[in-house]
Amino acid sequence: MVKEEQPESVNRPDNTAFTQQRLPAWQPMLSAGIIIPGFVLIGLAFIGIGVALFVTSRSIQMLEMDYTGYEQNSPCFKCSDESVKNCMCNLDFNIDTLFKGPVFFYYGLSNYFQNFRRYGVSKDLDQLSGDMDAFLDPTSDCAPYQYDGNNKPIVPCGAVANSMFNDTFKLYQIVKGVKKLVPLDGKGIAWWTDYNIKYRNPTVKPLKNAFNGTVKPLNWPKPAYELDPSDPANNGFINQDFLVWLRTAALPNFSKLYRRITEGDYAEGLPAGNYSLEIAYNYPVLSFDGRKKVVFSNVSWMGGKNEFLGIAYLVIGSMCVVMSIVMLIVYAKFKFPEED
Amino acid sequence: MATQSVESDFSWEVKANSHHCHKDKLKKSFLCFHWGRYSDNVVRSYKYSPLTFLPLMLFEQFQRVANFYYLLMVTLQCVPIISTIPWYIAMIPLLAVLIVRGLKDFANDMARRRSDSQINTRPCDILISQRFNAARWKDLCVGDIVRIHKDQVIPADLLLLCSSENHSLCYVETADIDGETNLKYRQALDVTHSELTCHPSEESLAAFDGVVFCEEPNNRLYIFRGELHWQGQCHLLDNEHILLRGTVLRNTEFAYGLTLYAGTDTKILKNCGKLTVKKTQMEKVFNRLVIGIVLGVLLIAACLAIGSCIFSSQVMSLTEDLYFLVVNGNPVYTGFIAMWSYVLLLSPAMPVALYISFDLIHTVHSLFINWDLEMYWQEADKPAQARNTSLNEELGQVEYLLSDKTGTLTQNRLLLRQCCIAGEIYGDVSISAEDMEPMDLSWNPFSCGTLFMSAPSLVENLRGQQCPLSSQFFKALSLCHTVMAEWKEERPVYQAASPDEEALVGAARELGWVFLSRTRDFVVVSELGVTRQYQLLALLDFTSKRRRMSVLVREPEGGLKLYCKGADMVILERLQKDIPFQERTERALELFSQSCLRTLCVAVRSVPEASWEQWRKTLTRSATMATCDRDALLEKLYDQMETELLLLGVTAIEDRLQDGVPETISLLQHAGIKVWVLTGDKKETAVNIGYSCKLLDADTRLLEWQELRQILQAPDPRVSFHKARQTEVWAVDKETARPKTAVVLTGAELVEFDQRPEWGAKFMSLASQCESVLCCRVTPGQKADIVTMVKKHTSSVTMVIGDGANDVNMIKTAHVGVGLAGVEGGQAVQNADFALSQFRFLQRLLLVHGRWSYRRISTFLRYFLFKTCSFALVHIWYGFFNGFSAQRLYETWFISLYIALYTSYPVMCMAFFEQDASAENSLKYPELYKTGQRRELSSPLMLSLSLVYALYASLILFFIPYGVFHDTAFDYQTMAVTVSMAATFTATIEIILVTRYWTKFNFSVVCVSVLLFFIFTRIFQSSRLFQNSPIDFFFVGVSEKAFLDPVVWLTALLTAWVAVLPSLTAHGLNIILTINNTHKVHSMSTQPVELKSKFSRGSFGRSSFAISQGAGAGRHITSATHIHSRDPPVDKKSQLE
Repeated sequence: MVKEEQPESVNRPDNTAFTQQRLPAWQPMLSAGIIIPGFVLIGLAFIGIGVALFVTSRSIQMLEMDYTGYEQNSPCFKCSDESVKNCMCNLDFNIDTLFKGPVFFYYGLSNYFQNFRRYGVSKDLDQLSGDMDAFLDPTSDCAPYQYDGNNKPIVPCGAVANSMFNDTFKLYQIVKGVKKLVPLDGKGIAWWTDYNIKYRNPTVKPLKNAFNGTVKPLNWPKPAYELDPSDPANNGFINQDFLVWLRTAALPNFSKLYRRITEGDYAEGLPAGNYSLEIAYNYPVLSFDGRKKVVFSNVSWMGGKNEFLGIAYLVIGSMCVVMSIVMLIVYAKFKFPEED
Repeated sequence: MATQSVESDFSWEVKANSHHCHKDKLKKSFLCFHWGRYSDNVVRSYKYSPLTFLPLMLFEQFQRVANFYYLLMVTLQCVPIISTIPWYIAMIPLLAVLIVRGLKDFANDMARRRSDSQINTRPCDILISQRFNAARWKDLCVGDIVRIHKDQVIPADLLLLCSSENHSLCYVETADIDGETNLKYRQALDVTHSELTCHPSEESLAAFDGVVFCEEPNNRLYIFRGELHWQGQCHLLDNEHILLRGTVLRNTEFAYGLTLYAGTDTKILKNCGKLTVKKTQMEKVFNRLVIGIVLGVLLIAACLAIGSCIFSSQVMSLTEDLYFLVVNGNPVYTGFIAMWSYVLLLSPAMPVALYISFDLIHTVHSLFINWDLEMYWQEADKPAQARNTSLNEELGQVEYLLSDKTGTLTQNRLLLRQCCIAGEIYGDVSISAEDMEPMDLSWNPFSCGTLFMSAPSLVENLRGQQCPLSSQFFKALSLCHTVMAEWKEERPVYQAASPDEEALVGAARELGWVFLSRTRDFVVVSELGVTRQYQLLALLDFTSKRRRMSVLVREPEGGLKLYCKGADMVILERLQKDIPFQERTERALELFSQSCLRTLCVAVRSVPEASWEQWRKTLTRSATMATCDRDALLEKLYDQMETELLLLGVTAIEDRLQDGVPETISLLQHAGIKVWVLTGDKKETAVNIGYSCKLLDADTRLLEWQELRQILQAPDPRVSFHKARQTEVWAVDKETARPKTAVVLTGAELVEFDQRPEWGAKFMSLASQCESVLCCRVTPGQKADIVTMVKKHTSSVTMVIGDGANDVNMIKTAHVGVGLAGVEGGQAVQNADFALSQFRFLQRLLLVHGRWSYRRISTFLRYFLFKTCSFALVHIWYGFFNGFSAQRLYETWFISLYIALYTSYPVMCMAFFEQDASAENSLKYPELYKTGQRRELSSPLMLSLSLVYALYASLILFFIPYGVFHDTAFDYQTMAVTVSMAATFTATIEIILVTRYWTKFNFSVVCVSVLLFFIFTRIFQSSRLFQNSPIDFFFVGVSEKAFLDPVVWLTALLTAWVAVLPSLTAHGLNIILTINNTHKVHSMSTQPVELKSKFSRGSFGRSSFAISQGAGAGRHITSATHIHSRDPPVDKKSQLE
C-alpha cells in the first residue's frame, strides 16, 4: 500500500515498523552445527569449574568432632543428662600436620529446626534495634516467650533468643603435658550489617538501666547486658555470639561460626600436636534427638569445604558432553538415513 | 365478530387507537419481578444502572473463578496467624484488576447507552387526537397509529392500513433483515384501503377502531398470521400486510400503520439473539487448568498440613521446651493453620498478574490489528477494528468460516458484462470492471456512465441500424421486465424488484434503448432518441418454476410481439427449429458460465393477431376460475404462447464479488478452514456465487435435500454418504481429485432439523467431509441455529462474517464474529468482535494476526505457568526441611517482584513481537495455520508438560542449593537470596530459549529484567529502607554479602542451568530432528499457493441462470398503473384482468 497520503485519511494507521510488526529482528537460526559444539563447550566449561572447585575443596582442611555424648564411651556422655548442671567435659584430639591458618572454629547442630517459621518470627525486631517502647511491650510474635510467669516482659523476647546456644569452649594445646590456651578471637564473627545496622542497643547508659522492669529470657543464666563480662562493648543485642545465633540457619543441619584462631602463636594455623577442647556443656539437644559438634576448618576463596558443588559441576558438565554425543549420533542417523 | 377465532391461537390482541388501554399493560420490572404484557418501543441493551453498577459488576467479576480465588487469598492474608505475605502485596494486583475491568465495563455500558438513546430518539409521527404529532421511537406504544414518511426506517412491526399509493401499495427495503437490497411490495387490506383513504386521513384513521388478533410475538420473519376485526367483519392478515421494524419505506410518500409489536416484541429484535460474553477456547482450557492448579495446591497444602501435624506431635512428645512450635498445644490445629499458610505460600503459582498480562497482551494484539495498514481500506478511510479485545488467539484456531453472501462475498452490484447477440460475443470479462475504459456514449443523453461492457462494434451496429437482431435484443431488454421508472433530474431512475432486471434495463438505457415510463397498458421507450409507446397486452410473469418471463406488446406499427427472457434451459427448448446461431450461442453460454456470469436468454416471437385473440379469450375466461385451476390453466396458456421463439441473444451479468474473494477463499481452504455460505438469498443465486468465488468447482457434486435426507435417515450416514460419493458420475478423474461434495440446503429444509435433533450430529459428520455447505433462504434466526449446530457437534472454532442486521444474531452466536463495514448499515459491526472493510482482509486477520496471536499466547501461557509454578512449588520441598511450617524460601518482596518486575517484561515482549514466520510466509504457506486448528500448542498435554517441567525445575531449584548449603555456616537469608537468583536466572534462560524473534525491545528488556533483580534486591536489602521499616525490610545486608560470594553465584548458575537443561535438550533435539522442516518455512522457495484458474466446468448441464426475484411482481405492475403519480392520470379502479 504505497499510496500517497491523502489529507482525508485521518484514520489511516501509521506506517511504522512497530505498528506494522516489521521491527528489525534477529532470528537465531540454530542448527546442529551450533547446538552440538555448544553443548560440548558448556559441558567442558562446567567440568573445568567442577575440577577447580573440587581441587579447592579438597585442599581445605577440616576437622569435625561430635560431642553430643550420645554414646557411652564419648567424653561428654556424663553431661548428656539434662539434670547435671554446669557440666564440663574435655574433648581430646590430635593434629598430624599443620592446620593452616586462619582456622575457623564452628559449632554445629543437627536436627535443629531454626528455620521453623514460628521459631524464626519469634523475636521482636523493634526491641532488638533498641526501641525502648518494645522493651516493656514485646510483640505478640514472641509468645510464649513474651512475658514471664509474673507477667514481666522478657528482653530479648522470643524463642530465638531464649534458645541461644550457650555451650562455651576453650581450646588448649597440650605441649609436653602442659595445657597451653589457644587464644580464640571472638570479634567480627557476626555480619557487619547485623552488628552495625540491624541490631542496636538502647542508647541508655549504662546499658543495665535500659533493662529495668524486664526479665532475662528463661533459659539464660545471665541477662543480655552481662553476656560478655570481659568486654563491656560486646554486650546486649550486639553481642557477637548472640548475633550469630540470631542469623538463623536455612536447614536443620547447620554450623555457626564460634571463634577464629588468628592470634599469637597460632596465627599461622594449628601446629601438629595434641589438643584438648574444654567444653562447658549447657545446651541440651538429645531431647529432640539433635547432635552437637565442633568443626575446625580453614577457608579458601570459595569459603568452607564444599564437595557437593564441585561434584555437581563435574556431573552436569559430563552430562552435557554425553548429551552432545547422543545428539551427534541422532543427527548422524537423521541426516544420513540411507546408511541405516 | 367471530368469537371462536379469538379463542384460537391468536392470543395477541391489539386495539387500534387505544393508547391508554395498552399503556397500562406495558411490561415493567422491578428487581426480578416482571409484569405487564406489551413491550414499549425502547431498546435497552445496557446492563447496568447507576444503582446496580457496583453490585452487578462485582458479581460478574467474582463469577470468574480466578478472581474469587484471589479474593479468598487476600482474605486469608489478613489473618495474622496464617499470613505468610503482607496482605497489601496480594491486595494491590487484585484491586488493579477489578478497577481496570470495572472501568472497561463501565465504558462499554456507556457506549451501549449512547447507541440505545440514538435509536430510541429517532423521529416518528404518532396519531394523537386526530393529529399526527412528531414523537420519538420510544414514545410509540402498541395500538398507536403511525405515519411513515418516504425513506424512513419503520419503528415497530406495523399493520399497513393504507398508503399514499394506489391500492395502498407500498415498497420496503429489507436490507437490514434479509440482506436483499431489492424492493419488496406490501399492500394494505382492501377494506382498510378503501375506508381509510377516502376521507381526510387523520380523521378516518383516528376513527379506526379495529382490533387485531394475532400470534404472540415470535421470531419468524416471513410468516405472520392474524385477523383484523373491524366493522363486524373478520379479515385475514398475513405477511403481505406487515411492515417490519428495521425495514425502510421506499418510493412511497406516506404509509400509515397500526403498531402490533413494539420494542423487544418485534420480529427483528426477537431474531437478535442474546448478548453473551464470549470466551475463547484457550480461556476455557486455561480456566480448567487454573481450577486444576488450585485444587492441586489445596491437595499439596493438605498433604503438607498432615506433615505439619505429624511433626508437631513428634515435637510435643519430645520436650516441653518446644511446645511453642505447636499452636495452642494442638498438633491438629497447627496442621490446619499450616495448610492455609501453604495455600497462601503456593498461591503465586497462579498469580493475578497472569490475568493482567493476559488482558494486556490481548489489547496489544488488538491494537496491532487496528494498526495494520494491509487491512486499512483507503477508499472508505476505514482501518480494521478489533472491537472485542479478548478473542485474538481464537483467530488462529478457526475451522469453520460461515459467511453471509450479499454484501460480504458479493458487492451486491450486478453489471452486464457480456452479451451474445446473433452468435457474436460482445464485451470482455478478463478486464475487470474497474480497469475498463468506458465507451463514448455521449451521443446518448440518458447515459449515466454505468455500463461496464466494452463493445464499440456493438454500438456501431446499433447506431448504424446494421443488425436488426441487436436492436431487437435491446428492445426486448427495455420492454420485458417489471421495473418501475422514477424521474429524478431529468433521468429515469429504475426501481426493480430484482437487481438483475435493473442491471439489464440500465444497460439497455446506456446503449440507447431507454425505458422511460410505464402505465398499466403502455410502456414508453426511447429507441435511439425516438420515443415509442408500446401497448402492453399481457405480462407472463416470472415464477421460480417457469424460470422465465414474457411480455406481449403491440408495437406502434401495429404488430404483436412477444418478448421473452429466462433461463437458458427453458428458452432453448422453446426455440424455433433450425435457428442459425444456436451452436454459437450455446458455446457462448458455456463460456459465460465458465466465467461465472449469470446468463439469461432473450428471445422474441411475432404473434399472429388471430392466435392472440383466441389466447386472450381463454385468459379472460380463466379469471373467473378457482385459484388452483386457474394456476394450472395459466401455466398451460403461458406455455402455449411462449413457443416458436426466435433466439436473440444471451445476456451475461456479473454479480460483482468483493475484491479478492476467490483468492481469499482458496487460501483459507488451503489453511484447512471450511467455508460455508449462509444467505437469505435464493438457491440459484447462492450456488452461482459459490461457483464464482471458487467455493465450488466443476468437479464438486452438489448434494441436495432429497439425497441428503436419505443419507441422514440411513442408519449409518457415513456409509451411505461414501456410497453416494462413489457412484458420483463426475468424479471420473479419480486419480487426480477425490470426489468433492458440497451440500445445498434451504431454510425450509432446515426446519426439519428442529424436529429431528439427532440429525445435527449426523449432518455435521457428513458436512465435515464436504467441501462446503450452502444454506439459502435462511432467516437470521436460522443462521444462528446453524452456527449453534456447528458449535454443538464439533469442538471447532467457528467464525462468522456478515455485514447486515440479518447477520447480527449469528455474529453474536459464533465464537468469533466479524462484521464487514459495508453498505448495509452498521448493525453487524456494532455487534461484531472484529470489523473489517473488505472480505479479503480476512486472510490477513486469520492467517497472520490470528496465527501469531495463537502462537504468542499459547507460548506465553506455557512459559508463564512454568515460571510461576517452578518458583512457587519450591516451598513444597522446603517444607520437608523446616518441619512443614510454611516457611518462605524467598524474601516477601521477591515473591511479588519476581512476578511483577524480574520476569514479566521479557515474556510480554515475546508475546507482543514473536513471529515464527513472517507475515508474507504466513500467507504463502497457509498450511502453517493448521497448528492452531489442531491446538498443538495449547493442548492439555502441552500444558501438563509445562507443569511437569515446572515441577522438575522446582525440585532442582530447591535441592541443588540444599546440597550446597546443607551442614554449612550459610544462613537462611543467604540461601533465600541464592534460590531467588537461581529462579530469576532460570526464568530468564527459559525465555531466551523460547524467544525466536529478537527485536531490540526483547534484548533490552531481558537485560533490564536481570539488572532490575540485582538493583531491587540491593535496594530492598539496604540499610536505609531497613531503618525506615525494620519489619518489612529485615533482609538487610544479605545481598551485599551474597552477591560477592562465589559459592552463591556458582550455586545459582548451576541450579539455573540444570533447571533449564531438559528444555534446552528438547530444543536442541527438536532442531536436529526437524532440521529440514524449520528451514522450510524460512528458506524454502517453492511456489506460493496460486489460484488455479482452470475452467473445466465442461458440462453444460449446470445453468448459471439466477434471478434474485420473487414471483408475482408482475401482478402489482399490471394492477398499479404507475409507480409515480407525476405522469399521466391513473386508473384508480384498475384491477386484474
